[in-house]
Amino acid sequence: MSMTQQSGNAVLSAESEAGAFAIRAERLVKVYGAGLTRVEALKGIDLVVRPGDFFAIMGPSGSGKTTLLTILGLVTEPTAGGLEVGGREIYGGRMPDLARIRREETGFIFQAPNLIPFLTAKENVLLPLSLAGVRGKRAQDRVAELLTYLEVAERAELYPNQLSGGEQQRVAIARALANTPRIILADEPTASLDTDRALAVMRLLRRISRENGTAVLVVTHDHRLIGEVDQVIEMEDGRIVLKESKGGGDAAQQANPGGSDS
Amino acid sequence: MNLAFGDVRYHRLKFFSSTLGVALLIMVVVTIGGIIRGVILDSSTLIESTGADLWVVQTNGAHPEVGTFGPFVEISRLPESIYHAIAAIPGVADASPIVTAWEHVPQMPRPTWLMKFMYINALLNTRTMVKPRWMAMPHAQRFEVVGYELGKIGGPPVIVAGRGIEASHYEIVADVKTGFHVGQRVRLGNFDYTVVGLTRNMVGFTADPVIYMSLRDAQHFLFQTDPNLLRSERAVARQQAADLAATSPRLVPALTAHDEARLANTLYVNAIAVKLRPDANAAAVAAHIHSWEHLAVYTAAQEVNLQLMGSNRLILFQLSLFRDILVLIAGIVIGIIIYTFTLDKVHEIAILKLLGARGGVVYRMILQEALFMGIVGTLVGSALELLSEPYFPRRVVATSGDIVQMLILMSVVAAGASILAVHRAVRVDPRSVLSTG
Ligand SMILES: Nc1ncnc2c1ncn2[C@@H]1O[C@H](COP(=O)(O)OP(=O)(O)O)[C@@H](O)[C@H]1O
Ligand SMILES: [Mg+2]
Repeated sequence: MSMTQQSGNAVLSAESEAGAFAIRAERLVKVYGAGLTRVEALKGIDLVVRPGDFFAIMGPSGSGKTTLLTILGLVTEPTAGGLEVGGREIYGGRMPDLARIRREETGFIFQAPNLIPFLTAKENVLLPLSLAGVRGKRAQDRVAELLTYLEVAERAELYPNQLSGGEQQRVAIARALANTPRIILADEPTASLDTDRALAVMRLLRRISRENGTAVLVVTHDHRLIGEVDQVIEMEDGRIVLKESKGGGDAAQQANPGGSDS
Repeated sequence: MNLAFGDVRYHRLKFFSSTLGVALLIMVVVTIGGIIRGVILDSSTLIESTGADLWVVQTNGAHPEVGTFGPFVEISRLPESIYHAIAAIPGVADASPIVTAWEHVPQMPRPTWLMKFMYINALLNTRTMVKPRWMAMPHAQRFEVVGYELGKIGGPPVIVAGRGIEASHYEIVADVKTGFHVGQRVRLGNFDYTVVGLTRNMVGFTADPVIYMSLRDAQHFLFQTDPNLLRSERAVARQQAADLAATSPRLVPALTAHDEARLANTLYVNAIAVKLRPDANAAAVAAHIHSWEHLAVYTAAQEVNLQLMGSNRLILFQLSLFRDILVLIAGIVIGIIIYTFTLDKVHEIAILKLLGARGGVVYRMILQEALFMGIVGTLVGSALELLSEPYFPRRVVATSGDIVQMLILMSVVAAGASILAVHRAVRVDPRSVLSTG
């Protein structure tokens, strides 16, 4: 399948050719340690995420959710299995520049906002742009646009410790969006927020996914939040045990335990 | 966007206090270097300022083939008239008789508050080391008297106030450190002298300030027998003459003349400073003086060496070692500071890596912060040193060369320390940001 990519003209957009995969994972296995300390964190994960998909990953602690996210985010190398991100084969042949793909294709959102404490809100959002080599007015405009989009524009010059928890999380989301990533990987982004704020964050991610065609994977424990998502992926003991489509999105699809549909 | 700048700006208190600490360390290092240069200058300026090429001194009595270490660090005495003979040697442009000795006046300039502070501080520091009265504040001012023949070499090299010595009697030029002022009358020995001018930076190797006077005055002042002593000596001589008169009256006038000459003779000098013609061969002139006049000859460099290595050697060695230790400590302290600053940033480094920052971005941040601390610390420390130099009791002279050397050294130390820190940063796992459970 051809997966030509095309950079979106809309500033907030990460459009891709319809039908192309944002992520395609095949039989991902991850083993930590060896001998007595050996842990098989992932035991063969098949997963397809299309642009605009908004998935929730749920499952008990230790079921492998974070591990899966770090593999999809190219931070952890899988022990076995295939992975394509944005149409690029990652661990097939010659290894591509992972840091670069991470910079340009993926945005991370964590449970803690994990902003750089010595940079202002504005500079935190500027950071990924700066790392990707985007400078000058273009970068400044992009930052202003994102801060406005996330309703923290008037907090731009403040340091993270001067912001409320919710504001910090929104700045963190703005940072994740800065390089118009195709994929947003969020690991329990709502765990430290109360239900109202958590819902607000989920709706925001939903909106980003819809408006920009960004694929969003959110790990969450909270069943009250999954009304927004297209699909819930249930994990247990390193396996996907259930893929349940929800009415949340327009791209709802059937659970497909086989994973591969190409 | 510069990450190091952001970090420094946000943690400015932490950075500036650490940098100030580094600066104070650098200040001490530069000061020790300045003290070392001060000792070297104190040991050499008196000799260098005369512009003499050779110094002629008395030979060592027990070993005539070598000289005394005169005239500054050992007694050397020559008949004055010999300088005429030396002046006549081919290749000699000028031969100038020099008289020098340490003297004191029983008066002190009013101590400044800084002097008082340093005195009390010294008392406190040495309270377990000294017996009572050992550290009594001196009531006399010591200085080095230099007598020279007016119009020849050996006089004050610069006059910063007043004028040079013009009359051949009772005029002196003093170093500003004596605290004397132009027009002041100072009693030295049995005579009052007028301070007609001041010079600067002229001290002996003991850091005592110099007082210049005419050769005749210096000879009288230094070699003339004390009047009371003279009186009793004359009484003895008269008794001897009376005794002699009883047996050999015809010899009495000769004895009396001899005694008078002996008691009155002050026509000695301590050294002869020799200026050579540009085309003269120093070694040949020195050999000539040694073989024909039976005197010892030192080049200016050898003469400085006598003071530097003969008298101030150990303090110089000690200070140099001490400086090495301080440089080492400064390096270690900067290294530790930078390393702990990096440890403080492990989490941020992990975030940066997760955001796809290349290693270089992280290393540059660490290196820039280290260089900032090293360079700003060195500049501030050097500035503090330069500002405090005039307040040291002894001469302390740091040069721009010293500061450039420190800048290079501290940049290398900072770079070295950040390599250690980078080593730590490399091990930072970006997944540590994600592992919330
Ligand atoms: N770096 C690691 N080294 C060793 N074991 C790990 C590591 N990270 C995760 N694990 C193990 O892998 C399993 C899955 O962990 P994780 O992916 O964090 O699960 P979840 O995010 O669902 O709680 C757990 O048993 C965990 O202990
Ligand atoms: Mg987890």
